[in-house]
Amino acid sequence: MSGPPIRLLRRSFLAGLGGALSGLALGSFARAEPALPPAVDPAAKAAAEAEGAGLRPNLFVHVTPNGGVQIVCARSEMGQGVRSSLPVLIADELGADMSRVEVVQAPGDPAYGDQNTDGSHSVRGFYDALRKLGACARMMLIAAAAKQWKVAPNTCTAHDHAVHHEASGRSLGFGELAIAASKLPVPKDILLRPKAELLHVGKDLPLLDGPAIVDGSAAYGADIVLPGMRTAIVARPPVVGGRATAHDATGALAVPGVRAVVPLPAPTPPFAFQPLGGIAVVADDTWSAMRGRAQLEITWAAGANGEYDSETYRKTLLAAVGLPGVVVREVGDVGAAMAGAARRVEAVYHVPHLAHATMEPPAAVAQFHGQSCEVWASTQNPQAARTSVAKALGLDEENVTVHVTLLGGGFGRKSKPDYVVEAALLAKATGAPVRVQWTREDDIQHDYYHTVSTQRLVAGLDAQGKVVAWEHRTAFPPIGSTFSDTALSAPGELQQGVLDVPLAIANVRAENCEARAHTRIGWLRSVANIYHAFAVQSFIAEIAAARSRDPRDTLLEIVGPPRIVTLKELGVESLPNYGQSLDEHPIDTARHRRVIERVTELADWDNRQKNGRALGLAVHRSFLTYVAVVVSVVHGPDGKIRVDEVWSCLDAGTLVNRERVHSQFEGAVIFALSHALYGEITMQQGATVQSNFRDFRLMRFPDAPRAIHVEIVADDGPSCGVGEPGVPPVAPALANAIFALTGQRVRDLPIARSLKV
Amino acid sequence: MRLPACLVPCACLAALVACRGASEPAKQQAQTAQPVSIAPAEPGGLRAPEQFAGIADPVERSRALFLEASQVMLHPRCTNCHPAGDTPLQGDAAQIHDPPVVRGPANEGVPGLLCTSCHQDANLELARVPGAPKWHLAPIEMAWVGLTPAALCEQIKDPKRNGGKTLAQLVEHSAHDELVAWGWEPGHGRTPAPGTQAQFGALMAAWVADGAACPAGEGP
Amino acid sequence: MTITLHVNGKPHVLDIDPQMPLLWALRDHVGLTGTKYGCGQALCGACVVHLDGEAVRACVTPVRRADGRAVTTIEGLSPDGSHPLQKAWVELAVPQCGFCQAGQIMTAAALLAKNPSPSDADIDTSLAGNLCRCGTYLRIRTAVKQAAAAGGKEK
Repeated sequence: MSGPPIRLLRRSFLAGLGGALSGLALGSFARAEPALPPAVDPAAKAAAEAEGAGLRPNLFVHVTPNGGVQIVCARSEMGQGVRSSLPVLIADELGADMSRVEVVQAPGDPAYGDQNTDGSHSVRGFYDALRKLGACARMMLIAAAAKQWKVAPNTCTAHDHAVHHEASGRSLGFGELAIAASKLPVPKDILLRPKAELLHVGKDLPLLDGPAIVDGSAAYGADIVLPGMRTAIVARPPVVGGRATAHDATGALAVPGVRAVVPLPAPTPPFAFQPLGGIAVVADDTWSAMRGRAQLEITWAAGANGEYDSETYRKTLLAAVGLPGVVVREVGDVGAAMAGAARRVEAVYHVPHLAHATMEPPAAVAQFHGQSCEVWASTQNPQAARTSVAKALGLDEENVTVHVTLLGGGFGRKSKPDYVVEAALLAKATGAPVRVQWTREDDIQHDYYHTVSTQRLVAGLDAQGKVVAWEHRTAFPPIGSTFSDTALSAPGELQQGVLDVPLAIANVRAENCEARAHTRIGWLRSVANIYHAFAVQSFIAEIAAARSRDPRDTLLEIVGPPRIVTLKELGVESLPNYGQSLDEHPIDTARHRRVIERVTELADWDNRQKNGRALGLAVHRSFLTYVAVVVSVVHGPDGKIRVDEVWSCLDAGTLVNRERVHSQFEGAVIFALSHALYGEITMQQGATVQSNFRDFRLMRFPDAPRAIHVEIVADDGPSCGVGEPGVPPVAPALANAIFALTGQRVRDLPIARSLKV
Repeated sequence: MRLPACLVPCACLAALVACRGASEPAKQQAQTAQPVSIAPAEPGGLRAPEQFAGIADPVERSRALFLEASQVMLHPRCTNCHPAGDTPLQGDAAQIHDPPVVRGPANEGVPGLLCTSCHQDANLELARVPGAPKWHLAPIEMAWVGLTPAALCEQIKDPKRNGGKTLAQLVEHSAHDELVAWGWEPGHGRTPAPGTQAQFGALMAAWVADGAACPAGEGP
Repeated sequence: MTITLHVNGKPHVLDIDPQMPLLWALRDHVGLTGTKYGCGQALCGACVVHLDGEAVRACVTPVRRADGRAVTTIEGLSPDGSHPLQKAWVELAVPQCGFCQAGQIMTAAALLAKNPSPSDADIDTSLAGNLCRCGTYLRIRTAVKQAAAAGGKEK
């Protein structure tokens, strides 16, 4: 997959772009105020306004006659910092002063390219494209100045929000040039600045939305208010695929403020992004809707998944990995090598379902106008939301507008627009604008869960302890099951820690074993890497223990010498490689080794025994980024195990915003530790057992490590992912540290099942 | 003094008393001429003071009344907020309170996380948070977790450890305090303390009237 | 029943159910959406506001408890983002998604109002009821200490 399509346009062709600008009227977004200009000719200004208000060569950049620059962010902001990062890339290329830039959030529209903010690809997918968009505007501004000054454009430069002709000492502000530039042709050959001229890219950048967040003005999905808006709370089937066979709305309708009780259509499998169905209570305000729902009497038919029990399913998965599966990776002859091995190491690992549990439960607002529908939502995927709403309402997509608010967390949950469709359906059904608010119970009980997995790993060692054979079986209900009737994984999931792991081992085989889904499976921050890295990196430490060698040395030995790992060496025919070419983003073990060596250096690995520290190590490449983590655990009060300190070293190629890279990797540690220590979603009779933070436990202040050290070891080469790669190595590093502390090897997450944490 | 309506063999009372770890009264009981029968309470109930009338010796009667009342005081609804440590407990299994909260200098939490940051003056309709007026922890000297009825009795009679209360004030507190009252109306699927506050108050009053004797048993 | 709330210095007379949680009164009736809904069970702290200066969890506080009293929300913590906590939060780029941060700041403000020089343990204890799913705990600790060093309260 190459970069997104870029459309270079003279003026906006979308009513939706006007919608995006009206987002500003809600007071939601950018804080930077365009500075007032020196004198502007009123006639020229009027002419510019008639023409579309200044220079707008493409959808992403708009230079206004008063000098304000609006830069569009078309990726969803969920804390990973896209709004603080991508616009800076454009601004730096353009030569704009960021304090005079207003960031505008794009609505959902394919004209903006890919907007599915998922897969850690905002920077790597848009780095070049965005620079070109900014460069285009720069070239036009320079051309306009050069024309006015009658000099050659290549004698002019653009920086500090103006074009300069050094030789004559003349300058013209962007605002002064905007109208003239808008009359010039859009250049075909775009010239980028030398990288060194990007003044802010690669540095610690200010948090664009910080002031709005700390003063309460930042707007999330549930904060949008429309005149006459109702709020809906939905009672959804406890079991996926279940439906209400009868309901009594009398009690609900008697609650003051409740306006309507509306059944929602049951979805037909495969469920994809369809809402789950159920019964909605629509009321004047949230409290009335909540009270109303509590009064509903509903008879549910459970449907096909009504027998699903996650404890029983463990046995099913265990049995699955006990038998051969589909071979997905093979080198040499594992059978023969195992047979000839002096000893074997074998382990089975299990990771349960997990919930996204974003701090902001899903919420969306919709308004239906008969032939069109307008939606505001915290969504990671506004185009999918648009398509889904259009389909559900029987509208053309051009008549559906999706505005994107800030997201109170995403992690993959808000890529699925089921909740947006609910709002649209209810707006149509009631004729009023409707906000659908998911409660925390709804969020925990009706998630698109991170899948459940069991893996079996067997290593054959020769007499000297060298690993000569490696067999990996993995069984997990695949994401594909949400979209079609399948029980086997797609390469997209298998590449995440099965196909792409470098193993300097002569005989390797990996198999994917079938596993049926009985709930909606989704993707959760770093996806299949979570369980594959947990198993592989724990297993390598188990091998080290089995042969009494240092885990770091064993890890480096198994990763192997510095080299580019070919498909042939992996034993696969192809590799999705996160949508990038292997030429541009090869599997480079020099980079694995570098982060391993650096993180162990930082953590003073070699002196851990002397210092009495129990450390665990893991490395994992995901989303093209190399990350090595060391976790230090101690015995806390009351005999609980606590995480004391964590080091995370990363190589993510060229970075845009160092500060957000640090924060993402710090946050990834806490996120991953929460799951590894306590995270578990279980199901009985098809329904999720957990319902709130009482039973889906998350890390809190007293549990959090004393220190987290994030170090970026490299900042060059093609950009790689940042949002997700910090997660996978943490769980195995933790398990390895616990082994060092207690001698107990935990293969079954969460740790809380076996130990006091 | 009324005799109870139904006759229960002496051994049952002895067994009851033995469960409480006090064997002497059983022996004494066995030595008296008259067998005393007290019907057991309904599940979740409390026996009324009148039902102990058959115990002739006021000291023994007083002890038995306290044992009955102690079923309330040593019930999780009460002991959860009379912990021996610095965090309240939750549930019938007396787990550590979640979210993690601490006693604080005045038994009411810490700045930013007072008990009353979350606990209201009444239980709530949709949220599971229990509530009663002036929700707070009993001071550490009033810790009840892990006590035998004998130790509990010594403790609550001691003005240094009961907030300076006289016996009459103890009875008043038991019978009428609003936070104590919560124990019987805990809301949201929580098991109430046995009986009712009125019954508990009556037992405490009768215990005091008979001399506020403490069960014999192991030390504190 | 009419309830009078003095929110950030302004009176609001509301004709609402006295049992309605203060959170929904603020968000749906007063129109201040800075206070967030995260769990509805006082488990996460996203809804923390001040009631006569004490931190309370608005999602479980019936509005009748606030009748006639002063409520401070994140919007009213300072007129212009100048509370030392707000400044520290921005300077240190504490937030990620930001959804929990109003509650974090309001809780920390209640702590600093009573304890101007909290220890690490004090911070963890007072904020133990505030969840952050993005994992900004360590930066919050630093920011609270920075704000405390800067004087802690709004000038």
